[in-house]
Amino acid sequence: MAAPKGWRLVWQGRCRLLHTEPSAPPVPQPSSSLYPPVVASSTAKSKSAKIRRLEYFYQQVHEAPSIEEKLRVYGRLQRLKYVVYPQTFALNADRWYQSFTKTVFVPELPPARAESAGLDLSNLRSLVCDALLKEHFFQRKRERLYLHREQEHIMAPFLTQLVSSLTAALGSHNPLLAASCLDLKPEVNFYWERGETVVCRGYRTGRIDPVRFQIDDKPHVQIRVPKQLPEFVPLDYSVPGEVPVINHKPDKLPLFRRQYDNKVFIGSKVADPCRYGHTQFHLIPDKLKRRRWLKENLAEQIEVVNRANGITSLFAWTAAQAMYQGFWCEADLTRPFVSQAVVTDGKYFAFFCYQLNTLALTVRADQCNSRKNICWGTESKPLFEAVEGNNVKGFNDEILLQLVHFLLNRPEEL
Amino acid sequence: MASASRARKVIYPLYQLGNPQLRIFRPNFFMTLVRPGVPQPEDTVQFRVSMQMTRVDVKNYLEKIYKVPVSVVRTRIQYGANNKRNYKNQKMKQPDYKVAYVQLGQGQTFQFPNLFPEKDQTPEPGSVEDIQKRFMEEEIKMQKPDPRRGGVTDWFGL
Repeated sequence: MAAPKGWRLVWQGRCRLLHTEPSAPPVPQPSSSLYPPVVASSTAKSKSAKIRRLEYFYQQVHEAPSIEEKLRVYGRLQRLKYVVYPQTFALNADRWYQSFTKTVFVPELPPARAESAGLDLSNLRSLVCDALLKEHFFQRKRERLYLHREQEHIMAPFLTQLVSSLTAALGSHNPLLAASCLDLKPEVNFYWERGETVVCRGYRTGRIDPVRFQIDDKPHVQIRVPKQLPEFVPLDYSVPGEVPVINHKPDKLPLFRRQYDNKVFIGSKVADPCRYGHTQFHLIPDKLKRRRWLKENLAEQIEVVNRANGITSLFAWTAAQAMYQGFWCEADLTRPFVSQAVVTDGKYFAFFCYQLNTLALTVRADQCNSRKNICWGTESKPLFEAVEGNNVKGFNDEILLQLVHFLLNRPEEL
Repeated sequence: MASASRARKVIYPLYQLGNPQLRIFRPNFFMTLVRPGVPQPEDTVQFRVSMQMTRVDVKNYLEKIYKVPVSVVRTRIQYGANNKRNYKNQKMKQPDYKVAYVQLGQGQTFQFPNLFPEKDQTPEPGSVEDIQKRFMEEEIKMQKPDPRRGGVTDWFGL
């Protein structure tokens, strides 16, 4: 199906979002009919044959007997796909990532519902300070660490210690946490399609293909729970913000394409009872640390990196949870899914909440879909000013309180 | 390159420490601003640069000489086509070149200008060109065969 040459040249460079006609669903024939229904060929080189093959694929996913089978059929076809890195060096990546995931970003947190009455904050503060001093003062670390690897020697163990001690301390206040599952460095994967483009290389040149994306995320710690968190806003709530529209190919971000297994994974297999997300903790790598951006006069990119990380990681995790419940782009959500994340470099903490309202991101499913995903987030603030000797200077209780609020979040009935 | 090698032969007076610096040294690098073949985001500018230039060189070149804020530079090497043959049927290789994509800083944007805009072709009424044009139109109309004859030649008939 070689397209005319001039047409191909014109469209080669831009990402074309096409609005194809919705194909008519096969008309159910009365069973009394003597003859089988007349349908298009499934092997011919025609538009109707293509639609028929697509319908057959969707039917296969719909009729899959189990969730594992559904995920296997959903990701069976391998093609070149854009690999989205949540922690990216690309400039202004957050706007691009919002358009890939159809997310509106709201620069504040949703109103907190968890009450912090009866909390012993000084006890929690001493727990956090202990974890900090353990890495900075009590333990003997090497004099000179390897270059660009301070993170994994100081910040990473601190974060692990912080999360495990806080969840243990708050278990009595939040019974959901007592039943939760804590994953250390889990894998989170998600694969989805959004938009359409014209294939510009290979034997399929000139054909129209969905743009495929894959996220392979590795949060530092994540908490999974057996009960779903309550929604922040109702499913059909219309957010005031807009999803940015980007009329360029994702190559220009830059983003690169690879072809490998299409995987959807929340950090555990489908049979695990803890199948809903609670909170993820992400550690910003040394390559993207604040000092580097400040040195290159790109101070505004510090927050952009955090935001991009929050949006993509939470989208991948929440959407994978929804797919574990049997939802996908042709069977859109009937209830919203919610997750939270903390993005930190060990000192500065940024908080993000995500509500997944729609999984219908393909061109076909997105035609008359007014729902948008919502991400709430804050700017990063320091937890402490400095550690001098064996005391912590300028400890910020506000951040600790926010962290505790995140961990205390739970559904009403339990 | 010829001029550069000639310039190198000139013998300058020996520079002693503390002498006033009379010469400015500029690299013999060349950067060509080109129209991107594939549309780029607004803050990205495309250049063809010397093969020896690195990303750091490109950044320093633009920042130090032209005072352009640069945030990120990406480079690649474009392979020149070798599918052409000359009249002796020998393979002709186009030279490779290096392409640099520069992302501008401080929120600056750049759009490659349209160097050959479409000119307004309608002449002023009453000018020589206008009269000439109208005359030519009349002439063409007169020389056209009569449509009522349906393509039958002039010499056939009365």
